[in-house]
Amino acid sequence: MKPTCFHCGDQLGFRPILYKEKSFCCSGCKSVFQLLSSNDLVDFYKFERSPGTKPVQTTNDKYAFLDIPEIKKRYVKFEDEQLIKVVLKLPNIHCSSCIYLLENAHKIEKNIVTSQVHFTKKEASITFKKEHLPLSELALLLDNLGYPPNFQEQNSSAKSNHNFLLRIGIAGFAFGSIMLWSFPEYTGIGKQNLDIRAFTSWLSFAVSVPVLLISAREYYVSAYKALRSHHLNLDVPISLGIIALYSQSVYSIINQEGPGYMDSFSGFIFFLLIGKWFQNTTYQSLTFDRDYTSYFPVAVRVLVDKKEEILPIEKIEIGDIIRIRNQEIIPCDTVLLNTESIIDYSFVTGESSLIYKYKGEELYAGGKIMGNIAEMEVKRKSDRSHLTQLWNESLHNKNKTQKIRYQDKISALFLYTVLIISAIAAIVWATIDPQMILKVVVSVLIVACPCALALSTPFTYGNAMRKMGSLGCYLKNIDVVESMDGITAIVFDKTGTLTDPQQMEIIPSGEEVSIEAQSILFEMTGSSTHPLSAALHRFLANENLDFIAFKSFKEHVGKGIEVSTGNDDYQLGNAAFTQQGNHNNNELFFTKNGITIQKYVFKSQFRSDIKSLLSRLHKTKNFVLSGDTDTDLPSLLEIGFKKENIYFLQSPTLKHTFIQNLQSKGEKVMMLGDGLNDASALAKADIGIAISEDMFKFTPSSEAILDAKKLNKLDDFIAISKFSRLVLKICLGFSILYNLTGIIIAVSGMLSPLIAAILMPLSSITIVLLSTSLIFIRFRSLKN
Amino acid sequence: MLVVSLLIALLFLGLFLWASKSGQFDDDYTPSVRILFDDEVKNIDHKHGSTKV
Repeated sequence: MKPTCFHCGDQLGFRPILYKEKSFCCSGCKSVFQLLSSNDLVDFYKFERSPGTKPVQTTNDKYAFLDIPEIKKRYVKFEDEQLIKVVLKLPNIHCSSCIYLLENAHKIEKNIVTSQVHFTKKEASITFKKEHLPLSELALLLDNLGYPPNFQEQNSSAKSNHNFLLRIGIAGFAFGSIMLWSFPEYTGIGKQNLDIRAFTSWLSFAVSVPVLLISAREYYVSAYKALRSHHLNLDVPISLGIIALYSQSVYSIINQEGPGYMDSFSGFIFFLLIGKWFQNTTYQSLTFDRDYTSYFPVAVRVLVDKKEEILPIEKIEIGDIIRIRNQEIIPCDTVLLNTESIIDYSFVTGESSLIYKYKGEELYAGGKIMGNIAEMEVKRKSDRSHLTQLWNESLHNKNKTQKIRYQDKISALFLYTVLIISAIAAIVWATIDPQMILKVVVSVLIVACPCALALSTPFTYGNAMRKMGSLGCYLKNIDVVESMDGITAIVFDKTGTLTDPQQMEIIPSGEEVSIEAQSILFEMTGSSTHPLSAALHRFLANENLDFIAFKSFKEHVGKGIEVSTGNDDYQLGNAAFTQQGNHNNNELFFTKNGITIQKYVFKSQFRSDIKSLLSRLHKTKNFVLSGDTDTDLPSLLEIGFKKENIYFLQSPTLKHTFIQNLQSKGEKVMMLGDGLNDASALAKADIGIAISEDMFKFTPSSEAILDAKKLNKLDDFIAISKFSRLVLKICLGFSILYNLTGIIIAVSGMLSPLIAAILMPLSSITIVLLSTSLIFIRFRSLKN
Repeated sequence: MLVVSLLIALLFLGLFLWASKSGQFDDDYTPSVRILFDDEVKNIDHKHGSTKV
């Protein structure tokens, strides 16, 4: 195994930094180690191996916007004269060492009073002395430690969760208590002591009222809404059953005939809510519904009376002059005022090349400035920009096509069957014993309450969703499991999805390069942050290189680097910069005194196992959409895509229309993409899956987030979804069997509270066990 | 007897609701890690370690 950095665990270059007998990959990692060891925090390295995150160099005023009161107050939870408490999202939190470091941050900065990490949400609440430590400096400290806070995303509140636990708590309490008091009824001794019986009946009634009013409320609301919009969902028969159950019980309590079905009633609600809770527990730290605001900066530098001021992005008006610096994102559609600027639009268009813009040209929001500060005039506000419009339009389209769940389809059938059976039973009983009609009809409605049916979907799909989550595919909710099964076409984005952005194939051409020149090139590329430089730096690393000092070093961001050793001048850069032939984005030239020594061609490398994945995905039509030119066509054909299914030069709008066309041909489309350029297509597709190298960084809004390393397991996820559909059918079969047994008993007029009390939990537990065991046994061999 | 059982059940319901309100079920991972840190405490003020909600 190659030696790795003590702090961040990255592979060491051939010239690591040694400090206190430990090796580090860069000075950033070393300085974090220095900071921690000087503050008695070396335990950070004990909990996990190389737990650190490589700190990225930042400017000191990166977080200056946080000292504007109206921005600051968004993150403040509590404030008094001395102390202030903020909650910050720190996406880099990933292990127990992180918790240790962040909760001991007061050892590093004495003005921090307490800090507490919420691991699952990746948040830290930090209390500090506001007089001595501005929020901007706190953010900078966290950034330097390797935990840059994310200010774009607002913190979600957990209030609804408390409310839900309250409803489960009440139902569970009532269920347990009433069952206990009904025990004499079950054994038959209840009738011997009528006083106690009346007392327990009324007690049960008292306890059941909050269940009816608080715990079960959402079922009537949902049923009412469904009926009003003229369709049926499963909540309609459930509500009908609940009402029948409850009124029958109240009737029997008033007539002093025992507590009726109060135990079954509260049990129903309790089990139903547990099912809901099971399906609702999702991935707290992942965000599926990001909108454009989480991509844009919170504040922008604006020129007011020739002075730079920081303003919240909402306050930017048309005509304002804004300043965007290196690596910052353009937040609105603007016109460039500089003579020249270099912009990286890769996240918006999917094209990996840098774009040159000149004075007076329009700049669309979403591009990243590379190089010098750019001044521009605002043409359209952020929420009206080209990018935002595209985004909103696609999300709007999505809402129209609401999916109808499988369980809702059968619930209509179920309801009508139950109503017909009750009607027939009523007619038959009218000829035998008219007094029994009401009892029989109510009994049928009670016993037909589809509790087990309602539990089948959340438990089956909930288990499938958990299984997929453990394998690296995180679904937004259980509906995605169902729709994944019916997929007929899969559309892949190329750049960043099929290709691995961190792996580049480098093809050098030219004569033999001397060790001296190689050493110079190695030093040049080591000081640059450009992705091509970094790739070249790794490519060159070997033990024979010498250290060479430069007389001068100059980096022209986005173009190239020039150095001088005193004797010779060297340049590394694109064709235009080094004045060598035609410009091509994937080429770098290395020149000595103006003469090319080497030409390096960079080719994107496809992720491993894509070929075998495609051979396993033979049942679906597989497409590739790429924003780039057709240079990768041979490799794509080699992997196994059909020539007629590969499309190049696809803009975000074209990708969107492509999906739309497929859908109009009746295809169910799954789209896999990674950037903002795919956002609109992801939203349009029946299932949009965002591919992510790092789960907790920015991903466009989607139905699922897939770990990029697990892309080759895509067929497994589809198999899980197909199998869970089968499991669901088995569960539905079982629950209908239980309901049928109950209905036969009810029709014959023999239903008693005891039978209901046995039948209801039995059916529910069967479903839970069946769905869990089937899915986990079938896919036990699939491991992370 | 019945009243006692009701009272006990009510007590547990109350405890459950109090626990969920005070955020006990919010984060089920961090505390399990945090408890391991206290072993090495030499001179940290305990109040500032991890309590306060």
